[in-house]
Amino acid sequence: MDSQQLTTLTGVIDKKMNRQLKQYMDICARCAICKDACHQYVGTGDFKYLPARRAELIRQIYKKYFTKSGEFVPALYEARDPDDNLLDELYDSAYACTGCRRCMYYCPFSIDTAWILSVAKAILIAAGRGNEMLGQLADAAIFKGDNAEMFNDVMISGFEDIQEEVREITGNPNSRIPVNKEGADILYVALAGAHTIRPAAVIFEEAGENWTISMFEAANYGFFYGDTDKARLITKRYIDEAKRLGVKEIVVPECGHAYRVAEMFYEAWSKEPMPFKISHILEKVDEYIKSGRITVEKGLIEGKVTYHDPCQIGRNGGIFEQPRDIVKAVTDDFVDLIPNRQEQWCCGGGGGIVAMDEFKETRLASGSKKVEQLRASGASVLACPCENCRLQIEELNEMHGLGLQVWQVIDLVVAAMPLKGKKPVHV
Amino acid sequence: MSDETNIDLELDLKGLLCPLPMVKVSQNIGKVPVGGVIRAVATDPGAMADIPAWAKSTGNEVLQAEKEGGEFVFLVKRVK
Ligand code: SF4
Ligand code: SF4
Repeated sequence: MDSQQLTTLTGVIDKKMNRQLKQYMDICARCAICKDACHQYVGTGDFKYLPARRAELIRQIYKKYFTKSGEFVPALYEARDPDDNLLDELYDSAYACTGCRRCMYYCPFSIDTAWILSVAKAILIAAGRGNEMLGQLADAAIFKGDNAEMFNDVMISGFEDIQEEVREITGNPNSRIPVNKEGADILYVALAGAHTIRPAAVIFEEAGENWTISMFEAANYGFFYGDTDKARLITKRYIDEAKRLGVKEIVVPECGHAYRVAEMFYEAWSKEPMPFKISHILEKVDEYIKSGRITVEKGLIEGKVTYHDPCQIGRNGGIFEQPRDIVKAVTDDFVDLIPNRQEQWCCGGGGGIVAMDEFKETRLASGSKKVEQLRASGASVLACPCENCRLQIEELNEMHGLGLQVWQVIDLVVAAMPLKGKKPVHV
Repeated sequence: MSDETNIDLELDLKGLLCPLPMVKVSQNIGKVPVGGVIRAVATDPGAMADIPAWAKSTGNEVLQAEKEGGEFVFLVKRVK
C-alpha cells in the first residue's frame, strides 16, 4: 500500500472515531462473553466471526496510527498496518456481520461491535473494496431518486394493478391506493415488492386512513454498504416527498433496518431535525385494532403461531409488544420463542447478507440457533415483520424441513379480517 | 424484439420478491459476454423500476422491459 492510500485510510479512521468508539478500543477486557452471543460464531465455530476478534482488526490499525505505544512498539501492542491481508479479514468480518447487536447486549461493557464495524466498512469503501452488490443496490436507489420522473409511469401502473387486487380482497370497488395525495396524514413508504403494499393498503383503507403511497422504497442498501452519504440520499428521497405532500407522519413497512434508519439515524446524517413522526406499520395496525378502527377475528388462522423479533425492530428498535398484541388478537394459539425480545437470536439474514452470495454458507450455518428455537416452539406459523429475516427463515425452513408457514404480520391481520372479498394468499 | 435478439442467458425470476430480481440480474450479468443479453422474467411489478434503475446506474442497458400478462419480461444487455 502506498503512502497516499495509507493516509486516506487512516484519515477515514480519524474522522469516524469519536470519543465513544475510542473508548470501545480501550475497554474490551477480552472476556469473550460475546462469543456465545453471536449466532455466526456459534453457528460456524469460526474464530474470525467472534465479535471481539472482528473489532480487534480495527483496534490493531487504530493502535498503530493513533497511540504512541502502538506506533513505537507495534509487535507488543498487536498494532498492524492495513495491508491487503488485514483488509481481506476486515471484509469478511464487517460484511458478514448482520448488525444484530446481540453481542453488545451481553457484553459487560456494552461494546457496540456493529458500530465499530461501520468504521471497517468505511475503510473498505475508501480502499475500493466495499461490497459490490450492496453498492449497486444503493446506487440504483439513488438513481431512482434523481430520476423520479423516468419511473413515474411504471410506478403508477404497478400501483393500479395492486389496487385491483386490493379491491378483490376488500370486496369494495372504492378501495384505493392513493398516489401523490397532497394533504394526506400518512405517507406509507413500502418496499419495492407488491406484497408489502397490498395488505397495508387493505388495512389503511378499511381503517379509513387518510394516506398516500410513496414512489420510493424504504429499504436502504447504502446503510448496509456502510456509506452514510449514500444512506442519507436514499432516505432523503421520501423525506423530500413527505415535505412536498405535507403529510404529518411517515409509516415504514415490515422491514427491520428501514425503521431504524428513519427513526434513529437520519437526523444525524442530514443534520436537520426530522419534521415528521416516524412509525412502524405494526404500531399503526396495533392502534387500529385496539381502537376498533379495524376488526379482526380469531379462529381464521390455523395452527400454533410464533413470532420472531427482527433485531432492528426489537433489540435495536424497541418494538416488542405491539407485534405480539397483534398476533394475540388474531389467534389464541400463540407461543413465544425462547429466548425472546432483547435476547432473541438473530436469524442470520440481516445486514444485507441475503444479497451477498459469497456469505451464503456462513449465513445458512449461522441460522442454527433460530432453527433450534423454531423447532422447540412447536409452531406451524411464524409471523415475522422483516423482509431479510423472512428470506433467511424461508431458506432455513426448506433446508431443515421445519414445515413452517412464514407470514408477514400484516398478512395475518388481513387473513383475520372479516372482509367481503376473496381471501388473499400469503407470500 | 425478443424474437430478433440473441439471448445468452434465460433467468426465471418468477415468484421472487423485489429487490431479488434485480439482485439476480446483477449476479448473473458477469456470466454473459460483453454485448451479451439476459432475458429475465419476473412477476413482482417492482422489478419494472428496479431493473432499469440498476442497469442505468451500472452502465448496462435494458433493451426491453415489458408487461406480458401477469409477467414482466426484460432483455438486459451487458455493456461493460
Ligand atoms: S452484531 Fe451480531 S453478527 Fe455482528 S458481531 Fe455482534 S452478534 Fe455477531
Ligand atoms: S464481551 Fe465485550 S469486553 Fe468481553 S470480549 Fe466481547 S467485546 Fe470485549
